[in-house]
Amino acid sequence: MNTALLLAIGGLTAVGLYLLTSRSLSRIVIGYSLLGHATVVALITAGGPAGWPPIAGGAAPEDMSNPLPQALTLTAIVISFGLTLFLLALARRQRTLSGDDLVEDDLEDRRIAAVESTPTEPEDSIAP
Amino acid sequence: MIFGLLVLHVAVCVVLACAGRRLGRSSLLVAAVPPACSALWGASRLGADPPATAHVTWVSGLDLAMTFRVDAFAGIMTLIVSGIGVLVFVYAFGYFGPGAAHTGRFATTLLAFSTSMLGLVWADSVWTLFVFWELTSVTSFLLVGHKSTDAEVLVAARRALIVTAAGGLVLLAGLLLVTGAAGTTLISELAPVDGTAATVGAVLVMIAAATKSAQVPFHPWLPGAMVAPTPVSAYLHAATMVKAGVVLVAVAGPALGSISAWKGCGLAFGIASIVWGALGALRHRDTKLILAWGTVSQLGMLITLFSVGTPTAVLAAVSLLVAHALFKGALFLIVGEIDVRAGTRHIDELGGLARSMPVAFAAAVLAGLSMAGAPPLFGFVAKETAIQAALGLDGPEAWIVGFGVIGGSVLTVAYTFRFLIAVFGPGPETPLSPRRHALSVPPAVLAVAGIAAFAVLGPLDAVLEPAAVRLSGGAPVDHLHRWPGLEPALAISAVVLVIGAIVGLAMGRRPGQAPADYAGRWTDASIDGTVAFGRATVARVQHGSLPVYLVTMAAVATLAATPFLADINLDHLVAWHTPLQGVLAATVVGAAVALCFVGTRLGAGLALGAAGITVAAVFVIHGAPDLALTQLLVEAAIVVGFVLAFGHLSRSFPMTGLRWRAVRITVAGLGGVAVVIGLGAASGNPVGAPPLAELAAASVDEGGGSNIVNIILTDIRGLDTLGEVLVLATVALGVQALARGLASTESSAS
Repeated sequence: MNTALLLAIGGLTAVGLYLLTSRSLSRIVIGYSLLGHATVVALITAGGPAGWPPIAGGAAPEDMSNPLPQALTLTAIVISFGLTLFLLALARRQRTLSGDDLVEDDLEDRRIAAVESTPTEPEDSIAP
Repeated sequence: MIFGLLVLHVAVCVVLACAGRRLGRSSLLVAAVPPACSALWGASRLGADPPATAHVTWVSGLDLAMTFRVDAFAGIMTLIVSGIGVLVFVYAFGYFGPGAAHTGRFATTLLAFSTSMLGLVWADSVWTLFVFWELTSVTSFLLVGHKSTDAEVLVAARRALIVTAAGGLVLLAGLLLVTGAAGTTLISELAPVDGTAATVGAVLVMIAAATKSAQVPFHPWLPGAMVAPTPVSAYLHAATMVKAGVVLVAVAGPALGSISAWKGCGLAFGIASIVWGALGALRHRDTKLILAWGTVSQLGMLITLFSVGTPTAVLAAVSLLVAHALFKGALFLIVGEIDVRAGTRHIDELGGLARSMPVAFAAAVLAGLSMAGAPPLFGFVAKETAIQAALGLDGPEAWIVGFGVIGGSVLTVAYTFRFLIAVFGPGPETPLSPRRHALSVPPAVLAVAGIAAFAVLGPLDAVLEPAAVRLSGGAPVDHLHRWPGLEPALAISAVVLVIGAIVGLAMGRRPGQAPADYAGRWTDASIDGTVAFGRATVARVQHGSLPVYLVTMAAVATLAATPFLADINLDHLVAWHTPLQGVLAATVVGAAVALCFVGTRLGAGLALGAAGITVAAVFVIHGAPDLALTQLLVEAAIVVGFVLAFGHLSRSFPMTGLRWRAVRITVAGLGGVAVVIGLGAASGNPVGAPPLAELAAASVDEGGGSNIVNIILTDIRGLDTLGEVLVLATVALGVQALARGLASTESSAS
């Protein structure tokens, strides 16, 4: 395996994870995008060494790069593109509604935590 | 026939669930029909050979099947479950009276329980048994909580459910271990097993049985369950459901009996319950509680005898099982009749009922003497056999079992006499409401059955003996004797009766206080503690912060890579195939790191584009022009989208706390390392060269194109690509909907 690309994949994953865990939706989108890059590079790197484009008649078959991971990668690129666009649309809506792109805490979860931590009568847990 | 009967039960259940409200009290009589059919069938199967079986495969590869097998023992249990079921349904018709509410619901649930219990005693596959075991727990919960407006009832129902359901989980673990060791899931094919797994499994199965059969220290749910309507107490908590644990110990005995921990656990549970249950029955002042504590004691006796496992002990246990169902069922029904007619069941408020309720009195004396083990009743035969079984042992086991059986018998006689004196003995006569035949006939039938069983002991022995042979693993079993002759067991029996009667008569009218229910309170407190612990955990774990959730998930996922560290094979690693790859790798990582430092959204968007274009260059070097083109297009669209979405936000990114940032950097760094480890390890295990020549030839000949990647996408994975198009179309719709919602919000705001 190609060590340079392997390290690049690791670096992209690390930065992607770091950005994904931030509060700013724009950084989350960037992190998600970088993780997507890491995945597609991982796919083609795992497929074998670099070679000539897999076009029949263009090069001798033994000199070609592996076409199967490329086909899978193409799908991965397109799907991650679609999801990134969707995230962007969500972010834009969030910005319009709240004026910022920060991910707020889930109020529902906060409320559950607040309710659950105050002890209630045991009878409440059984519906009549 | 087995499936036919089960279907009949379920069908009537469904009908009652729909029409129960309209039928009202008469739904109880409709519900008695399926048990009557089962009881008749069970009676016709008594002593029949070979056993009736039924089987339907669910998942063949996983050995999951509904398998039923009605052998000699299951036949007896059928008669108990369904025969007493019929009587209880008739009795409930009288118990509830014309104006009672929710009788339809009650009939449905009670029939559902009856069905589950039948399935349990008929089950041959351990998984079938487990499913019905759990169903009995659930229906028991519903029946205990029948009067659902009462807080005390709900607490008792919860206690019964939690204890028995926890036992169900233990049972599942135990069955997995035991069947894994035995290599079969059919109870009839279980051979004696040993080994650590089997031992742990056997102990777990015994613990599960102890929870279901209310053995000390799991017993508090059974006295608590006495808040249920009396038909439920008589049926579930005396005659049938509490016997489920005993049945489990009985049928598993031949396979697990050779494990000493199994026997040790069984004897510990059993003897502790015999003594503690009987002492409880001597001290409580609510007649129903007296009987419930007596049940704990009797169940302990059954568990003890089945755990001992010698042929005589098993025969004694089977006889006691039948006898107990008859006398305890009868006594509960009598107490229920007293409760309905006198309006109380507290012994301090009862008295003189021997004159005013002669039928109930006669039935109670018959059933009580059978419980005490006095001749000429079936209980005498069972107790005599039990004492013989204890005398037949040797070593310390003889002393332990002898103490349990004989000491338990003395206490049983004592609480029986105390009960009879306190309820029916002399005293100011309790005023009664008019007699209802549906209430007085069923207990009389059960009580007379106790003396009838003694009278026709020969045919009964012919039925019980095959069951005992089956449960003692095929060993020959002695016969039951009406009169054992002058031997030690008889002398012991006589002494037991005399001492017990003296103690019981002395205690019968003694005033006192009912003991405090410490064990019950402790059980409820531990349930409450568990619930509070769950709530506190949820409050801590589900706090609502998305970044913390993500960091937690990433950290856990990172751990998954560590086992692969040893698989990395350095021989398969090369620095690069062309030096340009090294340059591009450095560039893309540089662009990514730069993204963490860029202050503005616009700058971030541009840096993201740079990273994407570098990835496209990596594809070019790798020999993937299609990927490079796609990547370029996609990247351009994303940069445009990014600027559209965030371009107006010029504020720089908000800073987070230093410590939290350190945690994020650590987890992210470890995540990157984990991916490197995983990929590096995977590359150490190549699976062979790709069939490039074949692919090239096939794409030209069959696909009609020279670009192999395109042929794979459109021909070989055509359906996948269609799905991909669908995903994109869905995204487009979603984006459009979000944007349009936005436009209308903006226009309405302006």
